[in-house]
Formats: sequence, structure tokens, C-alpha cells
Amino acid sequence: MTAPAVRTVSQSDRPVKPPPSIGAILGLVAFLAITVYSAIGIEFTLTPLFTDAMRGREIVARYFDPAWSILTRPAVIDAFLETLYIAILATLVGSILALLLAMLASKVSAPTIAVYRVTKLVLSVVRSLPDVAYGLLFVAFVQTGALPGILALIVFNIGIVAKLTSESIDAVDRGPIEAVEAAGGSRFQRGRFAVMPQVAPNYLSYCFYVFELNIRASAVLGIVGAGGIGEIIDLLVSRLQHEELAAVVFALFAVVFVLDQSSRAIRRRLT
Amino acid sequence: MRTAEATARKNTPAPPSKVRTTIWLIVSAAIVLWALWQVDARWERVGQIVTEAPRYFGLMSQGLLQNPIAEPWSAYWSKSIALMIESLQMAWIGTLIGAIISFPIAFLAASNVAPRPVVLVVRQVLNIIRAIPEIVFALVFMIPIFGLGPLAGALALGIGSVGTLGKLSSEAIEGIDLGPMEALDAAGASKIQLLRWAVVPQVLPEIVAFWLYRFEINIRAGAILGIVGAGGIGSILGQLFNGREWGRIGITLVVIIVVTVIVDQISAAVRQRIISGPGRSTSKADIPEPVVD
Repeated sequence: MTAPAVRTVSQSDRPVKPPPSIGAILGLVAFLAITVYSAIGIEFTLTPLFTDAMRGREIVARYFDPAWSILTRPAVIDAFLETLYIAILATLVGSILALLLAMLASKVSAPTIAVYRVTKLVLSVVRSLPDVAYGLLFVAFVQTGALPGILALIVFNIGIVAKLTSESIDAVDRGPIEAVEAAGGSRFQRGRFAVMPQVAPNYLSYCFYVFELNIRASAVLGIVGAGGIGEIIDLLVSRLQHEELAAVVFALFAVVFVLDQSSRAIRRRLT
Repeated sequence: MRTAEATARKNTPAPPSKVRTTIWLIVSAAIVLWALWQVDARWERVGQIVTEAPRYFGLMSQGLLQNPIAEPWSAYWSKSIALMIESLQMAWIGTLIGAIISFPIAFLAASNVAPRPVVLVVRQVLNIIRAIPEIVFALVFMIPIFGLGPLAGALALGIGSVGTLGKLSSEAIEGIDLGPMEALDAAGASKIQLLRWAVVPQVLPEIVAFWLYRFEINIRAGAILGIVGAGGIGSILGQLFNGREWGRIGITLVVIIVVTVIVDQISAAVRQRIISGPGRSTSKADIPEPVVD
């Protein structure tokens, strides 16, 4: 037998695994440092899960025995409807204003670079405050009720819809814009006939998306006195009526879920 | 003799029917008008914004313009910053908890990895989590068990994060290239080896970017959880508005805005680097930007 021996693949034939990069090591160290610092800062522990589980379990158990009768009270029904009205009106007004700002916040449609920069900065400041902070502000400006809730969500919606839409505008096909310009169209006509048709499906889908957010947000806004079902939730929490609270939370969840599914179905058809 | 114009007019196709669009418009308008008519918003107070807002903004800026080194303003600044840092810590730990829990769940929610019935059940669970605001998690589950404070807030954010992260990560897993999976399958790898060497390397950058994206959302959520007593800067916001201490409100809002914008920028830069690799890339990575979940 003079067949050549099969060469065994030795370790030395394999490429050496590259050492981890400096960046990766630094990143890992930074990650661990921040994690340890944060865990100490918030006094992270899971022991209450075992030691206080009994205390918590009693309360949590009460949540699974909801007092459904509260949902038939006129005040609760009105609060749910108010939440719905707040979300509808805030979504409508916020989305219309957001469309104008989105046009200014995209390089494609902004009149000058300066306008684009300023609008972008303003939008990121608007987005940095949570919805509840706006709720607190408007409650101070116009007293409690549905109005501060509507106003707070309008501002909040502008921040989100304008940002998402301006990014869609950034990605439009420039061809139609050139065509409108070549035909002598004005700035408005350019936006109306070259940009708008391209971003309309995305824009509408963002509007439905913030509508879902608004239903959820107005459950929270009521806690600071800005109308809707949150006021009922806040009241029940302070009175420790856990069974009633559970019924309201489950009902809210059902409403959000139904709207979520239907608006998702509409969004799917749009895009 | 027919003019060219007339020919052109005859040859243009008829515009598509607008009936459906019109019906949609009428229905939407009806809903909006009904909401306007039903809602008890006392619109006459809208005018107050014009008078009140400038006055209050004036009071806020007075607080901002006070010498930040002199008492008591220095204490206000340092307290706001300390509490904002607490909010950031809550957001960080919450995101970490969400990442750890959602990572295995994402595989169970991906239709190309898990069996169909498992996928459907897990997806519904994720939908349920996404439908509940963090503040409700904090009120209903965390505060009763962990008491008031940032720990309850961080855990509420953690549970809330699982919904979004699980959904986004599972969609990333569903979008992978199946080639490596086939190759490993052919080489006789086990299911675990398949996931470890064929799936994880493909989706990890995208999933880590989602974690950072959710961190940016959690900063905003962590800034308000304090209103129900779950730690962070929200805890003083509610008090200050009740006490109408406009100077301090101005300071607190500026701290929230500045810190949020700065951390957002850092996080966005890191996300960009993770997705498109080191170096200056001009192409915008196709990843979601922080809005709100």
C-alpha cells in the first residue's frame, strides 16, 4: 500500500482566534460598572419575592377576584368614554400639526437647512418629556378635567408622529419632486403632489399607532388629574379598593386590546 | 377638425373612483364630531393657556436663573440631578431584566424556531404585557410586594420591557438567513447548537440595538413612575406641582430634558455602531428610533 497518508488537520493549520478588541473589552467593563452601580443605587434585591410574597400574594390574590359590578356604574362608563374622546381628539389635532412639522423636519421638504435643524432640535426636546409631565403642566394651566388631558396628548403626539413621518419623508423617491419642480410647482404643490402621496400610508399608520398609545396614556394621565379612566384608577388605589380596581384594569386592558387589534388590522392594510 | 387637446382629453384614463375614500372620510369626521360634542372639556378655558403659560414659564425661568451655587437653589439642582440619576438606574436595571427574560422568550415566539402552538401562546402573552402601562404594573404588582421605592419601579419597567423586546427580537429571528441553519443541520448539530451557532450570531447585533432602544423608552417611563411612589424623579414632580413651586419645577424639567437628550444621543450612537460596525457610516441603519412603546 503506497497510498499517501491522510494529513491530519493539526491545531497549527487552523487560523488563530483573534483576541477580543479593545473596544469590546472597554464596552464590557463599562456595562458591568454601570450595572453594579445601578443595582446598588436602587438597592436591588429579590428577597421580598420570597419573604414578603405572602403580604403581596394576599393583595395580588384580591386582584384575581374582581368586583365586576363597578363597571356598570355611570361614573365609570363616563370615564371610559372620556378616555376614548380624549384619545380621538388628541390624535386628530396632534397628527395634523405633526404633519406640518414633519415637512419642516426633513431635509427633503424643509425650506432651509436652518429651519430643518431648529425643528429637529425642538422635536427632540418635546419628545424628551414624558406624557405625564405635560399632563402636570396643563393641569396647572387650565385646571383639571378632560381639557388638560387632550392638550397634553396633543403635544406628546406631535413629538412622535412628526419624528416618524419626517423619517419617512427622508426616504421618499426624489423623482416626483423633480418632476413637480420642473413643471413649475410651488413649494406647497411639491409637498402636496410629490411628497404626500408617498408618505401617506406610513403617516396614517403612525396616527393609528399614537391612537393606541393615547388610550394607554390617558389611563395614566388621570392620576395627575387630566381626565379619563385614570381618575377612577387613582381614586380606587387611594381607597385600597383592590377588587374594584382589578375590574377597571381588566376592562381597560380589554378595551386597549380590542382597539390594538383593530388598528393593527387597519395599519396592515395601509402599508 | 378635432384639436389635439380634445384627443388628449379623450385618451386620459378616467381617475379611480373616490367613493371608498369619501366614505372613510365621512365616517372619521362623524366620529370626531361625536367626540367633540360628547366630551365635557370646557373649551372656554383654552384661552387661559395664552395668559397662564407665559406667566408660569416666566416663574420657571426665574428659578433657572437663580445662582445655582447659592442656597437653597444649589440643593434643588443637586436633588433633581440625584433623582434623575435614580431614574436612569431604574431604566438600566429594568432594561437588563427585560433583556434577560425576553431573550429566551423571543425564540419561543419565532415561527421558524418554535412549534406553531407555542408561538401563538407566547405571542398572546407578549401582547397582554404590551397592553398594560408600566405604571399599572407598578401599582398592582410591584408596590404591594416590594414596597415603595426605585426597586418596584425597576421591576415594573423590567416586566413592561419584556413585551416590546420579545416581539421585536422574535421578528428579527424570523428574518434570518436559513443557510447557516441548514449547514449545521447537515453537519448533525443538536437543536441547541443550531440556535447557538446559526441563529444567535445573526440576530445578536439587532437584538442588542433593540435593548438600547428600549432603554431610551424606559428613561422616559422611569421619570414618571415616581408619581405613584415607585422611585426616580417623578416622586418630586408630583409634589412640586401640588405645592406650585414653579422655580423648582423649571429646574426639574430642565434636568429631565437635558439628561434624557444626552443619554439618547449616546445610546443612539452606540446603536448605530452596533448595527453598522465601527467607523463613520453615513447610511442610516434601519432600526427603530425611540418613541414610546
